[in-house]
Amino acid sequence: MGNDIFEITVNSVKLIVVFLLMVQAVPILVWLERRGSAFIQNRFGPNRVGPLGLLQLLADAVKFITKEDFAPDKAIRKLFYAAPVFALIPATLAYAAIPMSLPFIVPAFEMFGSSWGPYKFLVQGYEIGVGIVFILGVSSLAAYTILMAGWGSGSKFSLLGALRASAQVISYELALGLSIVGVILLYGTFSLSDMILAQQGPLQFVAFGYTVTSAVSWIPNWGIFYQPVGFVLFFAAAFAESNRLPFDLAEGEAELVAGFHTEYGGFKMLMFFIGEYGHMMIASGLATTFFFGGYGIPGITPAELQQVILSWGFSEAAAGGLNSLIHFLSYNVKFAIFLWIFIQVRWTLPRFRYDQLMDLGWKTMLPWALANTVVTAIAIYVVTL
Amino acid sequence: MTADAFLFWFLAITTIAGGITVVSVANPIYAALSLAFTMVSVAAVFVTLEAYFVAGVQLIVYAGAVMVLFVMVLMLFDLKHELEAFARGKVSGAIKLLTAGLLGGLLIGAIAYSPEGSKIAVGANQVAVAGDPTKNLGYRLFTQHIFAFEALGVLLLVIAVGAVALSRSKGGTHGQR
Repeated sequence: MGNDIFEITVNSVKLIVVFLLMVQAVPILVWLERRGSAFIQNRFGPNRVGPLGLLQLLADAVKFITKEDFAPDKAIRKLFYAAPVFALIPATLAYAAIPMSLPFIVPAFEMFGSSWGPYKFLVQGYEIGVGIVFILGVSSLAAYTILMAGWGSGSKFSLLGALRASAQVISYELALGLSIVGVILLYGTFSLSDMILAQQGPLQFVAFGYTVTSAVSWIPNWGIFYQPVGFVLFFAAAFAESNRLPFDLAEGEAELVAGFHTEYGGFKMLMFFIGEYGHMMIASGLATTFFFGGYGIPGITPAELQQVILSWGFSEAAAGGLNSLIHFLSYNVKFAIFLWIFIQVRWTLPRFRYDQLMDLGWKTMLPWALANTVVTAIAIYVVTL
Repeated sequence: MTADAFLFWFLAITTIAGGITVVSVANPIYAALSLAFTMVSVAAVFVTLEAYFVAGVQLIVYAGAVMVLFVMVLMLFDLKHELEAFARGKVSGAIKLLTAGLLGGLLIGAIAYSPEGSKIAVGANQVAVAGDPTKNLGYRLFTQHIFAFEALGVLLLVIAVGAVALSRSKGGTHGQR
């Protein structure tokens, strides 16, 4: 956590801020989802409350909070009430482990009559050495909340929805995990920060003892150029893991009402909502980190940008802060593009049939992911001989 | 009490409480849930030992596997019937108590009569894990312990074949073909 009271305080506040970043992004995403779907379907969407319908979010939040707190008669109350709370935990824990910018360096300063030493604050909730394994492990717990909700509701629709969802999540977790193995082999590390460091600078790799550099300097050294198949598999599996269309069999409205959260309303329903959007954000953040250079900016490395900012006449510390901020924005641009793709896909593609879903997961994506792993391993072995 | 000691005792108590709940609760659903809870607690214990990779794998593999068990419980058990069979019966209760007592005695005996091992000096195992611990783990798994690793793989295959054979002989969920 830190060595003195200042560092511990900042790190604790940071945890809360990262959590709030995730939760506060949800209303904006909901707004984007509605306006975006309206845009795609050639209608207006919410445009009455506030400018561009932006205050609709606030109205929705008030509605969610003031609704009656309702539990069905046959429900198992403990599970029914615990499930929405548990839905938030995996998403929050995993999201906090994704690095969002360069470390923020605070030089030594004087405060309250004592000197406080130079600090280095990471722009993420906490850093874990085995980042990927931790994130995969924590998000694998998300399926429990679905089953808890489905079983605890004491309703057939909920139970069927939960069983479907858990079967889907278990099936696609394999493809998701295997699609990342290629990336891990490529960078030789589990740490997300190290991966981002490896992706900085122009496209450059060592093959058979020769260093190959791209002629165009602005083409970045991103993972997508080395692992295109891995990216497609990862992104498709991420859709399934976050129960978004075209994989939202968990809540097929036509046959299952609303799937595992049929019996939920008000704030409990909202928590499931936040959990789902949280998983979307984790998938976007991970896709950015693995395949699109994380917070890196194409064409310029952080060190070069630091020099540019220093040449504008800022002090060393201020330039470092500004540099961090610019990279934070860069991360968020990529992040937002992926979130938009999630929304765009949801309103473009129809839902899979259940057997199609299982065929895709087990007979298409799993073999491709395995092949990708084996080919990557052989390629790395041969090229670095 | 230091923070480390507090964390250890806290996690140890939650882990054991979770484990006891698995066998003492009548409803299989709660048993499966507390098994998952136990797995997560064990992962947390690994984290306090700074074995982050093992902790992550513990979460992915074991929590995921218990997930499958959970689904099986939901789909295959007639839960009302199970509730009675687990909770009632003097004879079966006596047998359960006897088995638990035997196992407990075995454990206590094993601990009490085992020769007191020489205490590992602090820092003695640090030499072995120089470099990336995960890489080290993988290297050892596929060189020193390759036989045990492959044998476990065969054992799992036997279990899978056995499960298929058992479900087919009774007709399984899909009836006789």
